[in-house]
Amino acid sequence: MKPRLILAYVLIPLGLIIAAVPENTTKPYKLTADELLEEVKSGTQFISPDEVAAMVISKDPSLQLIDVRSAAEFEKFSLPNTINIPLVDILNPEWEDYIHQDVKLNVFYSNSSNNANQAWMITRQLGYENNYVLQGGLNFWVKTIMNPKEPSELSPNEEIAKYNFRKGAGMALGGADVSTQPGASAPVKKPVITKRKKKKKVQGGC
Amino acid sequence: MGPLIVNEIISENTNLFLAFLIGIGFGFVLESNGFSSSRRLAGMFYGYDTTVLKVFFTAAIVGAIGLLFMSLFGWIDLSYIYINPTYLWSSIGGGVVMGAGFILGGYCPGTSVCAASIGKLDALAFIGGIFIGVFLFTEGYPLLEGFYKAKYLGSPLLNEVFNLSRGMLIFLIILAALAMFWVGEWAEKRFAHEDYKINQK
Amino acid sequence: MSKKNQKPYMNPYLGGVLLGLVLVIAFWVSGRGLGSSGAVKSAVVAGVETIAPSHAENAAFYKQYKETHPQPLKSWLVFEMLGVVVGGFLSGALAGRLKFKVEKSPKITNKTRIVFAVIGGILFGFGSQLGRGCTSGSALTGMAVLSVGGFVSMAAIFGTAFMLAYFARKLWI
Repeated sequence: MKPRLILAYVLIPLGLIIAAVPENTTKPYKLTADELLEEVKSGTQFISPDEVAAMVISKDPSLQLIDVRSAAEFEKFSLPNTINIPLVDILNPEWEDYIHQDVKLNVFYSNSSNNANQAWMITRQLGYENNYVLQGGLNFWVKTIMNPKEPSELSPNEEIAKYNFRKGAGMALGGADVSTQPGASAPVKKPVITKRKKKKKVQGGC
Repeated sequence: MGPLIVNEIISENTNLFLAFLIGIGFGFVLESNGFSSSRRLAGMFYGYDTTVLKVFFTAAIVGAIGLLFMSLFGWIDLSYIYINPTYLWSSIGGGVVMGAGFILGGYCPGTSVCAASIGKLDALAFIGGIFIGVFLFTEGYPLLEGFYKAKYLGSPLLNEVFNLSRGMLIFLIILAALAMFWVGEWAEKRFAHEDYKINQK
Repeated sequence: MSKKNQKPYMNPYLGGVLLGLVLVIAFWVSGRGLGSSGAVKSAVVAGVETIAPSHAENAAFYKQYKETHPQPLKSWLVFEMLGVVVGGFLSGALAGRLKFKVEKSPKITNKTRIVFAVIGGILFGFGSQLGRGCTSGSALTGMAVLSVGGFVSMAAIFGTAFMLAYFARKLWI
């Protein structure tokens, strides 16, 4: 058989297949299921309301709050300086620069921590870093920061300090005057922002 | 998974070492196909030997299909593949100058290096010429910069221009290429030359 | 051909498939295709930097090139082209094609052939820089990634060569 015909018999079916199948536009997962499970088990993605409150009050420029609830819910109530990326929209390329970056510390929140955690799982599986989840979500935030429960007189000093901080923070965020100095007693354990390694730009051409 | 260098599976130096191995494959295939012979290369333009057409288009098609299948299987992320930018005027202008160089010199840069490696002295002269030509360009760059950067179109893909999927475009290119191969084989008989014999399997 | 005992060349379609596979490997490993003239550019820049460092610091092209390529000779294409020399030599050695000679049409002298080879080289070298890549870097690789630039280069190179073929016919047939 002529080599040209052999080539035709090989290339035409391959060409037909490649013309018929849709292009693969999915992004490859960077983390395996096992790796992700390890992270989920350790729970390092959670960041407590106290930590977030401290950063909000000190106007920490590295903090970026991201509301993953729907736009309607976002309109009704949101934390200060928050951007709204509804969970259903998380893979929209428009938002990629926000959730795939190495400058800011992103904190996802929703009413509970469920939706925020789902957003985190998706971004984490894509290998994105610096994304965290507000522990307990807005419900827990309101309970702890906005309406903190007064500890009893016999509580240890840390409890009282914590209460004072929360009360101050709640007032600060609620717009009232702050009498206490919240920054001082705030827990300062802040997740470290890991610099994302810049993908090497491939060079080419002659 | 791929490209390995982008996903940092291999180091920069390994990349260079693999470039050397890839080059060996490149040179070996070029030479085995007779791209080390200027008369064979030039035969393309007179019809007596259309090897260049066949090898060139088959390789481009295999490359294109290969990339799409690898992407389909998730082995390579196409968004990291280098796409050469299109500056329309300098692309055409450069191509015209290269075409003239091709027909007068009988080689292109890759094939001349390959030919020189088996002792073709005309290829050595051609390589000397390339050095002079590149030097003229780098020295004359301030004068040429305007033309060099004119009509920048970004890095468009041909299938986007025609509003087709990549696979569909490749399929059409396969059909066009097979038709050209048929014409090429016809031309080899039609324009055969008594002092030049195609010696291939 | 002159030598009777020379082994035949590979079938061009098989050769094309193999070349395509080399190309795919290059994409998979390094995210880029093949090329050649860029290696010459690296060598020219490195040469100018060594011979006339002050000139290299002032002229626009070298300055721009230096920014993206701190070590011009430590580039992918330079290593790839070194490989081409080895690969071509191996193939030539296996097929018994190693021989110093000038290949040309019987109608012209060796001197004419060499002169035209140099002229062709100058044009090709210049054109490859203007067009951002030669037949391998721009046309072959560009076509494999379906870039418009690749197809434009290919059409311009081969179209011009076809148009000029008539005037250069004495060189080849």
